[in-house]
Amino acid sequence: MLPADCSLRLVAELRAALDACGEQQRQLDQSLRVCRRLLRAWEPTRPAAPEPTPGPEPNEEDPSPACAPSLQDLTELELLTQALEKAVRVRKGISKVGEGDKAPSLKPRTVATPPATTTSVPPQAPGQAGNGTSETRSPRGIRQPKVPARSLPEHRLLSTRERTSLGRGARATRPSLGDQQVTPSVTPLVPEAFTLKEKGTLLRLPMAFWKAASQNAHLWAQIDSTQASDSANAAARTRFLLKMQAAVSCQACGSLRTGGRLKELPGKSQHGMTREALGSAAWATVLAPTDCVQEYRCLLLLEGLQATVGQCLHWLQELRKVVAKHHLELCPSGMPARASCLCEGGADAAWSPQPLLYSSTQELQTLAALRLRVAMLDQQLHLEKVLMDELLPLVRTQRPCCAAVCRAVHSLLCNGGQHFPTVLQDEPAD
Amino acid sequence: MGRRRRPAGRAAGTGTGARALPEAIAALCRTLPAGPGPETFRRAKFDLPEAAPALWRLLSCVLSPRSEADTTGSLTREAQVRLVKSAMRSQGYPRPALFQLPEDGSQGSRELLLALSWLLARGPLIEQLLARTRVRLGDEMPVCECEDLACGRASPGLPTPSKDADSCVDVRHVQWLMGKLRFRWRSLISSHQEHCALLSKIHKYTQGCHSDRNLGHLSVAETELLRDPEGGQQLLQMLEFENVRLEAALEWRRLEQVFWQWMDTVLGASPPDSPNAGSQPTFLPSIPERVAGELELVSRELQALQKELQEAVEVRRASWEAQVRGQGPEWSAEMRASKEAVGQELAALWQAWEREGSLAQPHRPNRLVRSEAGAPPGQGLWATEAIGALRSKEACLEAVLCWLQGQSQQELAKLAGALPGVIWIPPHGR
Repeated sequence: MLPADCSLRLVAELRAALDACGEQQRQLDQSLRVCRRLLRAWEPTRPAAPEPTPGPEPNEEDPSPACAPSLQDLTELELLTQALEKAVRVRKGISKVGEGDKAPSLKPRTVATPPATTTSVPPQAPGQAGNGTSETRSPRGIRQPKVPARSLPEHRLLSTRERTSLGRGARATRPSLGDQQVTPSVTPLVPEAFTLKEKGTLLRLPMAFWKAASQNAHLWAQIDSTQASDSANAAARTRFLLKMQAAVSCQACGSLRTGGRLKELPGKSQHGMTREALGSAAWATVLAPTDCVQEYRCLLLLEGLQATVGQCLHWLQELRKVVAKHHLELCPSGMPARASCLCEGGADAAWSPQPLLYSSTQELQTLAALRLRVAMLDQQLHLEKVLMDELLPLVRTQRPCCAAVCRAVHSLLCNGGQHFPTVLQDEPAD
Repeated sequence: MGRRRRPAGRAAGTGTGARALPEAIAALCRTLPAGPGPETFRRAKFDLPEAAPALWRLLSCVLSPRSEADTTGSLTREAQVRLVKSAMRSQGYPRPALFQLPEDGSQGSRELLLALSWLLARGPLIEQLLARTRVRLGDEMPVCECEDLACGRASPGLPTPSKDADSCVDVRHVQWLMGKLRFRWRSLISSHQEHCALLSKIHKYTQGCHSDRNLGHLSVAETELLRDPEGGQQLLQMLEFENVRLEAALEWRRLEQVFWQWMDTVLGASPPDSPNAGSQPTFLPSIPERVAGELELVSRELQALQKELQEAVEVRRASWEAQVRGQGPEWSAEMRASKEAVGQELAALWQAWEREGSLAQPHRPNRLVRSEAGAPPGQGLWATEAIGALRSKEACLEAVLCWLQGQSQQELAKLAGALPGVIWIPPHGR
């Protein structure tokens, strides 16, 4: 059994690691659900029951408000419905004949329909009237009944122009009157569900969204550029900070400067300094230099590192003196330790996203796997240090040392708990 | 929102300043999350108590760690006060008056205003807040492990629960937790692989759809928007809201100077700090409670490192001197060049360490874009480069981990060797 404070720390660290993993897994599962749903056949998102409610419902995001359907709109609607019925008949005829070229027969329809009322007649889509949309609100209301999956692709495949006229491309309204009339005749047609695989290239983003997104990108780019050329503001800020510092009494100042460096210490020492330095040293010793020049460089690097480490040690001694002298008030804060990163987060970091280009699934998977491996290694390193910090003193001080404890500690420290050394009791033959 | 014209009693400011200041403060309020009205700022200058609650709320929202940003709204006033105080302490805020404000959050609006300005002056606070709640339109994949690291560490300042007998754990429990962690990592990695495959498919199927030719294909968020228009509406609203905040941030940057002039007057108006700080505890940026232990650990590591470096240097020097004996005079030029190069490398390394102590800057976000391997990237990061960088990091970390494990193994082997009547067989491969 391990002593209490040791156990607490170890369990706390491991639980934190486990929770972080668990949290990542949860978020990832959510994304996976979304992705899988996208790759299946798309189902309509509205409830299936047709709403018989008359009267237009307000559709606030639609930019083309038309309050009451005028007589002209209704007649146009009738014409459209008839046209679509005819299209369905023609299509039935064609599909009976065989996989004819549907396009020519349907194209005249596209040309004929006035731009105010739109029809989408992409070659593959069944000629269901569902997509006979009108800008004007049909009396059956905006919130149209859910249409069967086969007709859903219609409103995806609108051209951009038609989308603009609709406002929100996805909010295709259906003349339910026409709908219900036409539906029975269309049922015999083969339903084609929308899948991303087959028809993904026909999708288009809604105009309003695209506008907002490009505005967003533009603004972020502006923020980047203003940050880069920000010297006057930076000067004003520095002046203010100095004034504020000057207004504070000096004694606090001195200890704060030390304290500031102390704050950097965990970050630097635990990760940056020792690991980087160790890394370089490991490299330098492992590297077999091939010629004189490399040999010399190795030597210089090692000597330089040695000097740096000596400097750090000296600085550390100073800090220890300060810590001992000032009886520091240690304030527990609720904030998690800021783990430092191996990469140099540049001083001029930009805010707007940059494209990360990949060319194959393999590459993407390699990238993800490597990133996770590096994070895992980093965590393992941290845990290794914690374990060494806690367990080695125990093993050293416990006399007589129990073989079982040694074995357990060895497995934890040297293999991350994966392998165990074998311990044989060698009883002397009496 | 209150009067926009400043009272004539304000000391500083030019003619244009009198107009620009309200605009600047209004822009600041618009861009901050949970932003108070401009009236609050005016009241705070005169240290009126009505302004205090709003400022406490604002600061607690701004300072709360990333994962808890949503819950600060539900904190009680006292909890907000405590959070703000501890967070400011850990950031190294120089003025002691803030920490002496009463816990009920009824006073100190001027001090809070100064604290907010200090935060604004120190770093790109506005941009960081905006980046924290950024609407993510693309599929993002971080190329470094910073995000993962930040969550996986146990908070060093957690109040240690009472050490009762129940908190002692067996070392086998620790082994079990390690195994569980390993398993979770493995399933996380495989989930990520699946996620990458799905992303790649979605990108492939929607090639050519995006209105932005540089991107070429849709991301998951955009495809989801097309599949589910209602969810898309929400996304659009969030985008528009963010655009408003971004515009406010840009305006703030334009008018910032005036604000700093005004803050100088506020600083002047606040009472000077009492020079006697003897009775006050020297508060320092939050350090882990185990300061002495940390320093000890670091010092031990550095000393071990120095020993290792010394040995390596001796070996290298010997071999180099043997090699250099046969070299001619052209050597000296090469030697000088090598010296310079190594000097630069070491300086860069030192700078990187120094920079780690600075404020954590979030990395530039990446948006995944699938493109052909040979195409010119323009602006962007190739996955292959990121993979290369990650591989070298991985090698470095593995080397360090091996070294640490070797250290523990040596020590444990010594201890185990001292056990009487026991044969110690290390596991295979060690």
